[in-house]
Amino acid sequence: MALIEIDDLSVTFAARHREVQAVRNVSLAVDARESFGLVGESGSGKSTILRAICGLAPISGGTIRIAGQPVPTRRGPGFSRRVQMVFQDPYASLHPRHTIDRTLSEPLAIHGLPDTDARVVRALTDVGLPPAFRFRFPHQLSGGQRQRVAIARALMLEPEILLLDEPTSALDASVQAETLNLLNRLRAERGLTFLMVSHDLAVIDHMCDRILVMQHGAAVEELPREALAKAQMKTDYARSLFAASADRLLGA
Amino acid sequence: MTLLSVENLHVTFDTEAGVVEAVRGVSFALGRERLGIVGESGSGKTQTGRAVLRLIRPPGRIRADRMVFDGQDLMAAGERDMRALRGRRIAMVMQDPKYSLNPVMRVGHQLMEGLRQRDGLSRRDAHAKAVEALAAVQIRDPARVMEAWPHELSGGMGQRVMIAMMLIPNPDLLIADEPTSALDVTVQAEVLSILDNLVRTRGMGLIFISHDLRLVARFCDRVLVMFKGRIVEELPARNLMQAQHPYTRGLLDCLPRIGGPRTPLPALDRTADWAR
Repeated sequence: MALIEIDDLSVTFAARHREVQAVRNVSLAVDARESFGLVGESGSGKSTILRAICGLAPISGGTIRIAGQPVPTRRGPGFSRRVQMVFQDPYASLHPRHTIDRTLSEPLAIHGLPDTDARVVRALTDVGLPPAFRFRFPHQLSGGQRQRVAIARALMLEPEILLLDEPTSALDASVQAETLNLLNRLRAERGLTFLMVSHDLAVIDHMCDRILVMQHGAAVEELPREALAKAQMKTDYARSLFAASADRLLGA
Repeated sequence: MTLLSVENLHVTFDTEAGVVEAVRGVSFALGRERLGIVGESGSGKTQTGRAVLRLIRPPGRIRADRMVFDGQDLMAAGERDMRALRGRRIAMVMQDPKYSLNPVMRVGHQLMEGLRQRDGLSRRDAHAKAVEALAAVQIRDPARVMEAWPHELSGGMGQRVMIAMMLIPNPDLLIADEPTSALDVTVQAEVLSILDNLVRTRGMGLIFISHDLRLVARFCDRVLVMFKGRIVEELPARNLMQAQHPYTRGLLDCLPRIGGPRTPLPALDRTADWAR
């Protein structure tokens, strides 16, 4: 049984005068300890799927199951201990007036977990930040350091699943490399399951075992990592996406 | 023909912790071509672009031996002269549509504001021209986007709206600060071909500021690589992948590649001699 199962998911936003269907009948399954990638252009609905899993987008059809259980309508504390999300923009996803210490200890307080101090220090060390960073504010950190804090925050409750929404697209190439290395190390150490969104095929190829290509809210094609490098895609859209990334090929 | 020449540009900020030199002695000349400036955050590439428009606010200060745009001395120009240049002759596309569009004004209204105020067009003409500008940047449903609020647009759409807005007055020089970093590859290719077309057909000069080396290599004619406020390497864009400077090499090598190994990506060595 897959850890994340999404069946026939649709998400519909009510915009002025009309409804916008952001996700149309998408199904996917991610096994435990697998890393699954969603790619597609802006507005293809890839981030909306992650948000729908967390209850941040209005689901209009289909089901989402985590370890066989349908997610409850109000996600609740049990859900947040299993599933956590890292957002794209580290400048927007950390509270600007909370110290790093407060950001990291809040989930512990909500869930009534003990040893706050030790856990916060360990979380910072795990993502490669000095413990003294606890007493800083987000504006005193660089973009890469903030994204490390965002990853540390997502891991505070020791979830099995990390939803990664373009976790490195706001970062410099060198910092992106460090952050991707960090995510891969954490996944290996903790046996995490990743569902990752990116528009960069090279990042997805580096991080993911299987890939779902999306366009206009619908699933276009699912392919294993090996098929990507060999350009063995069946649909024209996936091929055009690949062609636009030709400069990201090994040896290019 | 030289459109813009900059000699020994310095941008400094007086902060509580002392003087921070964001740009230290940058010189370059630009014709009707596509000049790329690459570097990491904090390398001074954005401040260089802003300094050309004199958009550095106190406590920031600009110093240069010479900064001349189309025969006009930018260092000696008054604020009124600068205002006449900004937008109309030198336009700038900023990095983040979230912070650069007015959040409480519909997109259409923002696009039409300049057309009505600056060019004195009627409401109907301005509307038509704005729709045309949106269509020119490949927006699928311009009528809907005209009515939308900025928060209703995706990053890619917002970025295209800003490019459309900057291109309406037909500038001679466009400074594009990470104009496509919020976009995905297919849209990126479209936006670049729009910019490319403008450089070719209108003879516009372009300063393309980006952290994406592959993109700059493919799209620009010439590239300046910046590190800590200095130009460390200048080379033709087509040779960027064969760059020699260890910093440029480091930036190239840390990129993941499709079909590449799953081993950890090489990190940039910031302790080497060149980094001091």
